Amino acid sequence: MKIDRRRFLTGVGAGTSVAAFSCSDREEAERLAASDVAQGLPDLTWSKAPCRFCGTGCGVEVGVADGKVQAVRGDEASPVNRGLLCVKGYHLPAFLYGKDRLTQPQRRFPDGRLETISWDEALDLVAQHFSRTLEESGPESVAVYGSGQWGVHDGYAALKWVKGGMRSNNIDPNARLCMASAVMGFVTQFQSDEPMGCYQDFEAGDDFVLWGNNMAEMHPVLFSRILEHRRQDPNVRIVDIATRRTPTSQYADLYVEFKPGSDLALANGILHLLVENDRVDQAFVRENVVFRRGIEDLDQIGFGAFGDQAERYVFKDRAEEASFDDFRAFLKDYTPARVAEISEVPEAQIRALAELYGNRGRGVVSLWCMGVNQHTRGTWMNNLINNLHLLTGKIGRPGANPFSLTGQPSACGTAREVGTLSNRLPADMVVMKEDHRRKAEEIWGLEAGTINPKPGYHAVDMFRAFSRGDVKAMWIQVTNPWVSLPNLHRWERKPGDGRFLVVSDIYPTPTTEVADLILPSAAWVEREGVFGNSERRTQQWNQAVDPPGQAKEDAWQIIEVAKRMGMGHLFPWEGDWHEPMFEEYRSFTLGNGKDLASYAQLKETRGMMWPVVDGKETAYRYSAGHDPYVKKAEGVHFYKAKGYGERAAVWLRPYHPPAEVPDDAYPFWLTTGRVLEHWHTGSMTRRIRQLHQAVPSAYVELNRADAAAASIKSGDRVRLTTRRGSLELLAEVDGRGAPPRGSLFVPFFDESLKINELTLDAMDNISKEPDYKKCAARIEKV
Amino acid sequence: MAAMNSLPTCMLRAMWVLTVLCSVSCSVSCAGPRDTAVSQEGSSGKAAGVKTAALERAERRLFDGAPPIIPHEALGASCVSCHNERGMAVEDLGFSPPSPHELTGGMSAMARCEQCHVYQRSHEPWVETTFVGQPQDLRRGTRLYPGAPPTMPHAKLMRENCLACHSGAAAREEIRTTHPERQRCEQCHLQQIEAPMLKSFPI
Repeated sequence: MKIDRRRFLTGVGAGTSVAAFSCSDREEAERLAASDVAQGLPDLTWSKAPCRFCGTGCGVEVGVADGKVQAVRGDEASPVNRGLLCVKGYHLPAFLYGKDRLTQPQRRFPDGRLETISWDEALDLVAQHFSRTLEESGPESVAVYGSGQWGVHDGYAALKWVKGGMRSNNIDPNARLCMASAVMGFVTQFQSDEPMGCYQDFEAGDDFVLWGNNMAEMHPVLFSRILEHRRQDPNVRIVDIATRRTPTSQYADLYVEFKPGSDLALANGILHLLVENDRVDQAFVRENVVFRRGIEDLDQIGFGAFGDQAERYVFKDRAEEASFDDFRAFLKDYTPARVAEISEVPEAQIRALAELYGNRGRGVVSLWCMGVNQHTRGTWMNNLINNLHLLTGKIGRPGANPFSLTGQPSACGTAREVGTLSNRLPADMVVMKEDHRRKAEEIWGLEAGTINPKPGYHAVDMFRAFSRGDVKAMWIQVTNPWVSLPNLHRWERKPGDGRFLVVSDIYPTPTTEVADLILPSAAWVEREGVFGNSERRTQQWNQAVDPPGQAKEDAWQIIEVAKRMGMGHLFPWEGDWHEPMFEEYRSFTLGNGKDLASYAQLKETRGMMWPVVDGKETAYRYSAGHDPYVKKAEGVHFYKAKGYGERAAVWLRPYHPPAEVPDDAYPFWLTTGRVLEHWHTGSMTRRIRQLHQAVPSAYVELNRADAAAASIKSGDRVRLTTRRGSLELLAEVDGRGAPPRGSLFVPFFDESLKINELTLDAMDNISKEPDYKKCAARIEKV
Repeated sequence: MAAMNSLPTCMLRAMWVLTVLCSVSCSVSCAGPRDTAVSQEGSSGKAAGVKTAALERAERRLFDGAPPIIPHEALGASCVSCHNERGMAVEDLGFSPPSPHELTGGMSAMARCEQCHVYQRSHEPWVETTFVGQPQDLRRGTRLYPGAPPTMPHAKLMRENCLACHSGAAAREEIRTTHPERQRCEQCHLQQIEAPMLKSFPI
């Protein structure tokens, strides 16, 4: 398609009129009518698949003709999106057809030259490097860096190969950069990951509180469901708690602007008022809640970015028993006056939020994503939001839940459920516990003691170790860390430094640029697969088209390498292994409250929300009448939290300041994020013309008053500088987002303007998730 | 535009289906590769710079069924102030077609236009593409007998406001209704697209 020839109307009046059905149309029609043309178009063959982009998991129908995807349409039968998509979803099929798709394995020579090689040569090369590294330097020196975009099969194959084959725990996903704090929030409180609610909450709730979550752009279809609910029920309210005005704010009934990082104080301030005003559901708390507190000393914890912690960050929290009285005493300091001072949120708004959470007559759904998770105290912030619901008993019921949203299509299904993290095993198990390792070894048919009990490197430390040379062989699949990691200058690399880096992807990226070996992957409907979305819905799809050239699915690549390393016993299946592999994985989940549906059932349905027992899905976990693990009379039962006597833990978590705050040299806050049109590092969406042309490059949003003070106008070239780097961008004033005074925002999708060269690699103490949302910067006109 | 055969394939195919629609007798038989047929026809000459409605429609979409991009610059007004139920003609500016979603319920599709329709701030792709989108299929609905009301040949979702495309200044002549005053189209014209592939899963 020669799209460069296209001309646009640049203004309603310019160019041809929209209603020009003139004689030229008719003449052309008549002329064509006289020619020999076929009647009607060939029908497309339609099949179902979840969307490839975000964690919402919209159902699409995929239309195929001539062996290519030619169209998609929103799946009206999908309970997720009911036929609606967002602009990324509607333009989905074009992401497969960028002209520069990787179609052959390519090896890089030290001089930078790339040579096309065969799969046999490529797989031998990977197997040799990993085998030699294992032999010479041990299991701590190999690593796999995966993704929340891995299908379940890919993640499971990688996990089994790394933990069951190489006896290493150095496997971590990019989900560490996005969902880890939510995982640790759920794990520390409910001892089981993932939300209790589901998307039906969007029609059942009364108040929707968005904590740092620009839902209109990041989860547009879910936001549509809330907007429709409010249209039908005018009592519904949307509260946007944010650090800048976004398109979401335009729809909010209440906009609450807080200083970056002060959400910890704000949440404690709300808890303080709930306790002081007797809005705690004491009966619920007595029956279902225990209190815990951990290490709270700032100096003891740090930020994972300065001093010794800048090389390797290890912190282990402890859980001390506490009581409601301790909790009340702990909250004493978080008076509206003090919280208003820390957060710059007016006292009246703090009181309004407490009134909203404390109102027994109204269901509250709290929603959050990266704002809360990418936070130097992200786990704490997750704890505090969950606390709000536990204290008020607004949990486990339709329309009353804390709901953590996800950004990748299988962050839940693969990274979190399969457990492709350095410390985890499938279905909520961890490598540190012997009975968990034993269960995995049994299912995998391995000798007892095979699995390494010591957790491996988490994502940021994995790259620190790779830069040091402690990790010598690394395989990256379905992700683009040389754009998405924080503080990018730290990881600069020239191939041929003695380490071996393999990258599997579908397009050239800054990450494939530094790879020693590039493997071409099959994407989405070019292979069969399974994703799991934010509401615990597992969705299967079939292959609909052939991958281009020699491209192969990621799981196949791993299995073939494992076989070459003498680990073929891990993947014993003959022929099509998709179903038997899934069923083996499923056996981890059965009977422990994370029960997945059978592969056969997944094929027949528009996804199923686990736990699936007797073929029935579960809309609300821990809730009588919904969750088959809860008896009818129990109401809510946190049956997974064995360590807390099957109750949920409310944690006492104080306010800590961010790792870096503006000062005289760097007087602005810098926050980063996404835009509606682009997904993650843009390697897919930027290859879709309509999306790229809508937002062709990154820019910096600044406040009008700040812009005026520095004589900066929209479209001016400005230089943005932090202690880590500097970047020239175009300024945008009064664009789609409006930061408050003293604050800047830059999206991270643009690989030629990498804002992550400027961000700080400080991280959450518990989840080890980096904080992309706040550091100090200065801006000047160029 | 120098020659029609240099046009994007999908546009040519879109024009070709327009033909089918316009040939009222619809008795043209099948022969030959369709794209060739169109490009040969198309190359036989057409005033430079004039776009047919079908071509313009195709240009604005990735494939038939994808939401069109916004073909003008932001005007500082809310979309629905011009793209309302009937559309709006503004002297010296043009005609803004009405929104076909005006009556769409269920997912609040009317609340946030820019969720699906985006402005274009650049005219250059980042990387060329080999994607070929499904062209518009303009086959007419079938009639049980001459004079019976034709069935609806396309899906209704997001196009509940029939009159947006089938009447008024923005309606292409060949699909313009003779009886816009009757309002309740579905009373006589039934949706005939294939049902979703799988049964809806009850929730």
